[in-house]
Amino acid sequence: MTRLARLLLVFALLATGACSGEEDTLKILAGSEVKDLEPLLKESGLNVELTYTGTLDGAEQVASGGAGQYDAIWFSSNRYLSLIDGARERLSTQTKIMVSPVVLGLNPAKATELGWDTTPPSWSDIAAAASAGKFTFGMTNPASSNSGFSALVGVAAALSDADEALSAEQIDAVTPKLKGFFSAQRLTSGSSGWLADAYARTPGVDGLINYESVLRGMKLTLIYPTDGVVSADYPLTLLAASPRKTAYDELAAWLRTPDVQRKIMDTTFRRPIVPGLGSAEPLLELPFPNKRSAADELIGAYLNDVRVPARARFVLDTSGSMEGDRIAALRAALVTLTGADTSASGTFSRFRNRETVTMIPFNSAPRPPRVFTLPERDPEQALGEIRSFAENLQAEGGTAIFDALRTAYQEPVEAGHYTSIVLMTDGENTDGSGAEEFGAFYRALPEGQRTVPTFVVLFGDSDVAEMTRIAELTGGAVFDARSGSLAAAFKEIRGYQ
Amino acid sequence: MTRRWIGAVLALLLGGAVVAALVLGNREGSELTVVRGVIGSEKKPFFDDPQVKAAFEKHGLRVEVDTAGSREIAGSVDLAKYAFAFPSSVPAAEKIKKDRGATVTFSPFYSPMSVATFEPIVATLTQAGVVTGETLDVRKYLDLVAQGTRWDALPGSTYRARKRVLLTTTDVRTSNSAAMYLAMTSYVANGDDVVKSADQTAKAAEAVAPLFLDQGYSESTTEAPFEDYLAVGMGKTPMVVIYEAQYAARLFAADGAIRPEMRLLYPSPTVLSKHTLVPFDEPATRVGRLLTEDPEFAALAARYGFRTANPQVFADLAKNTPLTTNLVNVVEPPTYDHLEQLISLIEERYLKP
Repeated sequence: MTRLARLLLVFALLATGACSGEEDTLKILAGSEVKDLEPLLKESGLNVELTYTGTLDGAEQVASGGAGQYDAIWFSSNRYLSLIDGARERLSTQTKIMVSPVVLGLNPAKATELGWDTTPPSWSDIAAAASAGKFTFGMTNPASSNSGFSALVGVAAALSDADEALSAEQIDAVTPKLKGFFSAQRLTSGSSGWLADAYARTPGVDGLINYESVLRGMKLTLIYPTDGVVSADYPLTLLAASPRKTAYDELAAWLRTPDVQRKIMDTTFRRPIVPGLGSAEPLLELPFPNKRSAADELIGAYLNDVRVPARARFVLDTSGSMEGDRIAALRAALVTLTGADTSASGTFSRFRNRETVTMIPFNSAPRPPRVFTLPERDPEQALGEIRSFAENLQAEGGTAIFDALRTAYQEPVEAGHYTSIVLMTDGENTDGSGAEEFGAFYRALPEGQRTVPTFVVLFGDSDVAEMTRIAELTGGAVFDARSGSLAAAFKEIRGYQ
Repeated sequence: MTRRWIGAVLALLLGGAVVAALVLGNREGSELTVVRGVIGSEKKPFFDDPQVKAAFEKHGLRVEVDTAGSREIAGSVDLAKYAFAFPSSVPAAEKIKKDRGATVTFSPFYSPMSVATFEPIVATLTQAGVVTGETLDVRKYLDLVAQGTRWDALPGSTYRARKRVLLTTTDVRTSNSAAMYLAMTSYVANGDDVVKSADQTAKAAEAVAPLFLDQGYSESTTEAPFEDYLAVGMGKTPMVVIYEAQYAARLFAADGAIRPEMRLLYPSPTVLSKHTLVPFDEPATRVGRLLTEDPEFAALAARYGFRTANPQVFADLAKNTPLTTNLVNVVEPPTYDHLEQLISLIEERYLKP
């Protein structure tokens, strides 16, 4: 071959390389838990595009065949997904990439006080201390996040002393013990990342139940319960319908090279899946349910019977600009939360038994709050009342955002209950007090009221900067419903209540 | 003017040469016939091996594989996308052969079902009378499980887990290794005989169903729990049903994955998993024939722990390892229909709330 021909061949290869690079972009639907691997993925030189979604939402999308635009999925676990009818057929090759157990992290002083820094407790010991009010903790919502779900499964398995996988009867039997354990829960969240932030900000919370990898990045003493844990194994999973198998194989193989595995260990504190690299103490693994009915029942029991009931306040814009589609969307979003949505994510995001929901609609001024308290059992009537309240919302008048928010903050806070505010508005403040006055008011609140976060929903022509400032000031978060549906944003926020 | 002319000629030349290079470049690729197959996950490392790929290339073939559970291959996988199916058992292969009207099958290699475990577990089970030497007595194991024995209740157990004594398997609804385990346990539950009737399958399913259901969640492919065994260790997977080949491959590779405290046990009775290739076209038939008849492939397969038609190849590699060349108590799996019936009966129990 002449030099010119060789040179031209290089050109040609470059050209084909560029083309196939475009075609070979591996589109991955992922859980936010793997976001911290993005910088590492860039080193692979492979074209990878990650889109993030909640664990349960992702599972539903895949199981229903709604993830057709993706080639692969990458969540912290495929276990719940695999329990959904028809989901397994949609999955092709699964490659575990790394491991992280869900454990308890406590601030060092509290760990020493309980003696757990030297003598690791069992889950029963931890439950006894929690019931006796000896410590408090935060954990993600088991219906929205895998770390919370794993913890719930582990605690339930350990406390039930079940000699086999959890069944419905065992869940009933263990519910009182779970109640004791979770009476010490003070923080909840729809995602592991936000939970860590909230923990840093909230006084009076002694620790977190989360992935070992997350906790190791914080100044906490890690408690490994002697009777076992549930671990995430992060399977990178090719979808059966994807044509990009080669790209998937390359990425999976690259992630499992010893060098990359070591980087994962060092930079993210996860345990390697490739044998012979890690030196972490091996842990007992608790069994995981093998029936979806058992998994769902456990989540349902947690939300309706076990957890400390939530106090949810909704500050809702019913000003004139909401007229038409917008007020209809708001009505529909609230109705969604009354049990109208029968999908798994819909079922788990409805207003819970024992929950207190306060509705504060506003226009030129806040309207009187309407309080709905759901009973312990048979919540249908109360849900029906919320539904008819929602359906009767009318759009008219101005927009007094800050006065309405002030009303929400003036409501007393019950100690031990997790209170949060949802602020939904489609425009700018036009009436009543302004942002600065609200800031001064907020800072002067007693600590109990000041720790209530406001989750803002961007909708229509929301003032993004102002809404973001409210979320930042109160330690909340911003949810964007400007392009998506308002109902989806409300469902997501429910994970944080 | 001149410059523009040179530019145009150069552009033409470049364009032509690129086309030529593309054509030339592709010709090399097009000489290889691509054969796509769907295989059990335990054979993927073999097909991924550059030496295996090179051996196929010598014969003008490039073999691309997807993995799936053997029962999925025989049942739910769309085989129209593939030139061959390569499940890990004869019953699944027979079913595919019948469904697809294939004329031949190849069984180039096989592997006995075995149990990967750890020294403290072996010591405890030896004391309990379930293990003798390298042999796990399936009858005695079934008795232990029937009593609901927990690890921390066994005398002398250093494995302080409240968990039940249960072998970890894959999901019997999707995976062949679990189905092979079902074959051996149903044989014992059926009074040391292969199940041959609806009545026998019903009784055997009743007896062995808890071996699967009580484990809780199980993975769908055999690589997954073995990987947990290797990487996560005794805490998650104290003992796992695998193909001997999985363990042997790691031993032969001497990659440090098999640590000193790891042990391999042979159940008695055990079942052979006969990896059987069903070709749907001519190139795939060549793949099957090469794997079966070409000594180069036999040697490569042995490195992956498989036993082949020539027992000497495996015996040479197995020298000075805990692998046995002397399998005494080997039984046949039930026919496809009876095995399928057993699995369906267990599957029904998964659906009960």
